[in-house]
Amino acid sequence: MKRPALLLAFSLFIITAVLLLYRIFGLGYPALPVTTGKAFHFKFDGHVKSDGGSATLSIALPSERAGLIISEENFGSGSLSFNLFRKESGRYGVWTGQTDRDGEIASYRATILLRSPGTAKPGPPALNKYPPLTGKDEQAAAEKITEKIKHLPLPERIGAILELIRDAGERPSPELMLLKRMEESYDRPILLPTLFRAALVPARVVDGIRLAEGIVTKPLAWIEAWNGQAWESLSADGKETLKDQSTLLPLTYDGAPVVHVSGGGISDIRWDINRQVVGQWRYNYEHISRSERFLDRWSLFRLPTEFQQTFRILLLVPIGALLICILRNIIGFPTFGIFMPVLMALSFRNTGLVYGLSIFAGVILTGYVARRFLDRLRLLLVPRMSVLLTLVIVSFTLLALFGNKFGLRQVMAVGLLPFVILVMTIERFFVVVEEHGIRTALQTSAGSAAVAFITYLIISSETLQLTFFIYPELLLAVGALQILVGRYTGYRLSELSRFREFRSPS
Amino acid sequence: MIGKAFQQLRDAGVLGINNRNAEYIMRCNPRSRYPLVDNKVLTKELARQYGIPTPVLFHVIKNHGSMKNLKTMLEGIKEFVVKPASGSGGSGIILITERTEKVFLTQSGKAVALEYLGYHISDILSGIFSLQGQEDHAIIESLIHPDQVFSAVTYQGVPDVRIIVYRGVPVMAMVRLPTKDSDGKANLHRGAIGAGIKLVTGHTITAVHKSQIVTHHPDTGNPVSGLKVPHWDTMLSIAALATDMTDLCYVGVDIVIDRDRGPVLLELNARPGLAIQMANKGGLLKRLESVDAAPAEIFTTPEKRIAWAKENL
Repeated sequence: MKRPALLLAFSLFIITAVLLLYRIFGLGYPALPVTTGKAFHFKFDGHVKSDGGSATLSIALPSERAGLIISEENFGSGSLSFNLFRKESGRYGVWTGQTDRDGEIASYRATILLRSPGTAKPGPPALNKYPPLTGKDEQAAAEKITEKIKHLPLPERIGAILELIRDAGERPSPELMLLKRMEESYDRPILLPTLFRAALVPARVVDGIRLAEGIVTKPLAWIEAWNGQAWESLSADGKETLKDQSTLLPLTYDGAPVVHVSGGGISDIRWDINRQVVGQWRYNYEHISRSERFLDRWSLFRLPTEFQQTFRILLLVPIGALLICILRNIIGFPTFGIFMPVLMALSFRNTGLVYGLSIFAGVILTGYVARRFLDRLRLLLVPRMSVLLTLVIVSFTLLALFGNKFGLRQVMAVGLLPFVILVMTIERFFVVVEEHGIRTALQTSAGSAAVAFITYLIISSETLQLTFFIYPELLLAVGALQILVGRYTGYRLSELSRFREFRSPS
Repeated sequence: MIGKAFQQLRDAGVLGINNRNAEYIMRCNPRSRYPLVDNKVLTKELARQYGIPTPVLFHVIKNHGSMKNLKTMLEGIKEFVVKPASGSGGSGIILITERTEKVFLTQSGKAVALEYLGYHISDILSGIFSLQGQEDHAIIESLIHPDQVFSAVTYQGVPDVRIIVYRGVPVMAMVRLPTKDSDGKANLHRGAIGAGIKLVTGHTITAVHKSQIVTHHPDTGNPVSGLKVPHWDTMLSIAALATDMTDLCYVGVDIVIDRDRGPVLLELNARPGLAIQMANKGGLLKRLESVDAAPAEIFTTPEKRIAWAKENL
């Protein structure tokens, strides 16, 4: 009899786990959604001055890619006109126009959000051409240097080339000297790209900014080489491997200039990078709302914001129900009704815990006294409940008026308490007092209040809200736990006391 | 520590409430049969077909409209019981033991007017006492005159015998004795005491009062053990038919002993409580499991089932 339920619960757990793992490893969701993602405030400023005519300033801007989101972009152009262009080598902001003698400040602001890029793999790139500056001599030299390396497997070639440069040290071969001298005279990475090309390793020069707090006036150039699986980032001189690619923000590829001005000049260029604390909700929203992956398109983040608010709370309500299952069926502690404490907890969001519980207690007490009196009138069931309902609403109204008088907003929010539940609780309370005594009634009240309290804490937890919002499949796991409690046929904790006579062998 | 405590209960063969609900009530009591036991009018009809005596039914009041005839209905009936057809836990029952021209006297000696009875019946009809609060019918039936055997250990009210029947086999029994606490009601949760009964002989063993084991009646002070329950074998035969009657295989049978008519079936219960285990100082689970392990041929007739139970439980 137990097996189908256990199987169902087990499969629900499996489905949850699979979806969770897929989201974390496949879509790059944060494993712990509470850790604030890395975010940077990216600022570019440059002072442009045209030479009489119209000047054109073209600045490479960061582009979105796996694991990197750009939001809240702003452009400052003064009297210049601004356009955004997308080219193969990157995204460009182009300011054009004539400036007065003082020039204009061209500025760009953006927030850059980072997270793990997920498993999306780039395809193998094509082998690029030799760097445009190199001539026949340099290419021949490079081929000579890499003659042996060329025949190694692709992943080993990168290491071999780096080793070769390092080992050359003080007395490099004439071929190497030729390339080095050329690199020095142009102040651009030439040696590594040429060697990589000669060794048939796809590689590219990247110009960008390091994502670390600080101000820089010149972009950084580094090399990316394809190891057959992914791009490896190397410093331009080949002396170090840049392991943490997430700290590098590429702006252009293959030597396209990051800053280009024609018809004028630019000065005071600076990139200003600041670490930023971004709200967890925004952080996840920005990521998910841009992704076209199936689960992201079906994410709750795609709902209009006003409905998102509701679901943040709703998703946590089943946990409250699970608590009630545990309290009643495993511990054996009574509560009023099955879901009354959960509804109470929901309403406490408006009134706050202390006011909520006190109002609840007060209204039930008033209701109980009234119910005792009504008992003597011998009213029929439905009219009697209606009278109690009226009483509850009257209490609400009075409380709201008093709340207003004393400026207590939480008390005015009393109207959001679940009044139907209150009426039924009054009736239940009365019946329990009559049939089982005041002690049981108070115990039941305490149980209900405890569950309402814990449920309130749960649904108020931002962390849990976010976790369930990002991973709604967790509901399946909650359901599975509920099924498991439903098939718990062992003794309740309360039965240890109830049947204590059986525990001492006599 | 908790694990050990659980193990002790398991070793004693105690049936817990989760286990009762999931493995006995839900597994073997088909929901469709509940009305047969929840509605006392249907139970009476069923009992009649099986030749089992029940309190004589005077009237069934089905709607508020028919209440205007209440006076004529009650004409010539000196003593009677008003109860909800689908009540539970003994609530909503009024026993009228005497009447004068104007008033009715309840069992506790209170005088009430006809209007009061009308209100009460009206409450019953609107479902105040029914199991799920839905509309109900009111029953007016004959008053039981309890046999004097338990009078020394009864405070007012009518004591009754509860027998738990599993697959037609009587597995455990107790006699429920009203106390001052229980207001003359024979329900354990209201404070009545329950005295376990030996299945073989029909003698009472010990008693439970509010989850405590007691040897004497709290109000009369008389010992509750060692009493011989009269008509014991007749009661067992009535109980053994419960499963045949209802198709419920885990059922509580409540029988009262009328001084004139002998054992009379009061009601059946599809969710009998677990306190009976304390009254018998023994676990139910143990007995239920041995019924399941019993040879198939014992289930063929009520007599064989009773004989098996007396021998094995």
